[in-house]
Amino acid sequence: MPPLPLQSDWAFVIENLDLLLVGTGVTVALTAASILLGFLLGFPAGAVEVYGRGPLKRAVETAGVVLRGTPLLVIIILLFFGLSVSSSAFVTATIALGLRSAAYQSQIFRGALQSVDEGQLEAARAIGMGRFQAIRSVVVPQALRRSVPGFQNEFTIVLKDTSIAIVIGLGELLTVGQNLYQGGQSTAALEIFLTVSLIYFVLTFVTNRSLDRLDDHFSIPGGERA
Amino acid sequence: MSDPLLALDDVYKSYGEEQVLSGVSFEMDAGDVDVVIGPSGSGKSTMLRCVNRLTEIDSGDIYLDGDCVTDADTDVNELRKQVGMVFQDFNLFAHLTALGNVTLGLRKVRGMDKATAQEQGYEHLEQVGLSDQADSYPAELSGGQKQRVGIARALAMDPKLLLFDEPTSALDPELVGEVVDVMRDLAAEGITMLVVSHEMGFARSAASDIIFLDDGRIVEHGPPEQLFQNPQAARTGEFLSRLETAHEEE
Ligand SMILES: Nc1ncnc2c1ncn2[C@@H]1O[C@H](COP(=O)(O)OP(=O)(O)OP(=O)(O)O)[C@@H](O)[C@H]1O
Ligand SMILES: [Mg+2]
Repeated sequence: MPPLPLQSDWAFVIENLDLLLVGTGVTVALTAASILLGFLLGFPAGAVEVYGRGPLKRAVETAGVVLRGTPLLVIIILLFFGLSVSSSAFVTATIALGLRSAAYQSQIFRGALQSVDEGQLEAARAIGMGRFQAIRSVVVPQALRRSVPGFQNEFTIVLKDTSIAIVIGLGELLTVGQNLYQGGQSTAALEIFLTVSLIYFVLTFVTNRSLDRLDDHFSIPGGERA
Repeated sequence: MSDPLLALDDVYKSYGEEQVLSGVSFEMDAGDVDVVIGPSGSGKSTMLRCVNRLTEIDSGDIYLDGDCVTDADTDVNELRKQVGMVFQDFNLFAHLTALGNVTLGLRKVRGMDKATAQEQGYEHLEQVGLSDQADSYPAELSGGQKQRVGIARALAMDPKLLLFDEPTSALDPELVGEVVDVMRDLAAEGITMLVVSHEMGFARSAASDIIFLDDGRIVEHGPPEQLFQNPQAARTGEFLSRLETAHEEE
């Protein structure tokens, strides 16, 4: 007697769990690389939007508007097939996700920098600190704390959007799922994609919890009123 | 004769069309405590801010200890190391403890190592009666305590001159006393202070001179006895009696 289809399909998922875990690894690596690139570009961009002036400020603002106004799918296809920025799908996906994330992270940091009241900067200047030093020692530490909730949101979005790398054939989690299902086991579609969804959910949940911890750890005793 | 510690010479400042300071001149010697009074919008804060160049003047000169500090080539950060400022809204660094607020300038501006800065920081907190709150964050302090930290932060830089911009006007009435007491102590220690304040008790007891500013001009400038008992200008008398009435209504 043949085994029940349901049983066999879950068995198929379990048999291929190692492949799914490799895909998960790629997803995690892609998320981390993209968020990091987004931070390295987005934080200075936010600072330039607040403290900069002239052509640099306008250039940064324009880049942000363009990136936020372009679908991620278009960015990634353009970079890979149009501009061929790299033959590596991973590198291309990192650049696409990283640039888009930088555009959003810049807004998180811009808001956070602006939320630190001007008086503190003035007080720092009044004891003889230079502008750059005052911003770095007084405004930035507070702004970074205030960015955690927005950053948490951005993290979750990037994590899930790594799945878009499927269009350039990067072997991340969704691509692995898709390949398994197209490799002749189409009856297991539901099981495969439920598993894939569950893995995304667990990743999201764990990162959110960790960032909550970070938020608590860095919160200022008594609140933020000075 | 030595130079006055601070001298303003014919200082003008406008914001757009609005003339805020119109030829302000006065001098104060080391150890003096001058109290600036005047109606809202008369230019008191602007005048203080011109001294440490948080605001740039349009014309005139300001001298600190004989040096013109309004020259284009004056290093403003060097100037500000010598002139402390205490703000109406405290402006404490919210992410730092009381001690951190006091030591930040010592470390980043004076380049002191952490241990030395902390040792000195404690001394300044002690000076304002807050050494037991060294590890408290601003949000954990009362308004009066915050302002005392603000004073300690300014004192820590060992300035030649301390500027106070209405240091007690954001405080609940019952907390004014502790801040005024600290300011009195500093005055008694001979620290040179230029204080914008309508705390007449402080002005009467601690001021060397009172400066009455109205509409960007110094209307009257003299020792407290003169202004309170025998004001030379009619407007001075009117303003002081209005202050008294407002005070009694509180
Ligand atoms: N940065 C600024 N830009 C434009 N106008 C300003 C600025 N700062 C002050 N002013 C104007 O200059 C005038 C004097 O202001 P200033 O704050 O010096 O007065 P003040 O005597 O300290 O008043 P108060 O008792 O209300 O604190 C006011 O009319 C104010 O609106
Ligand atoms: Mg004022």
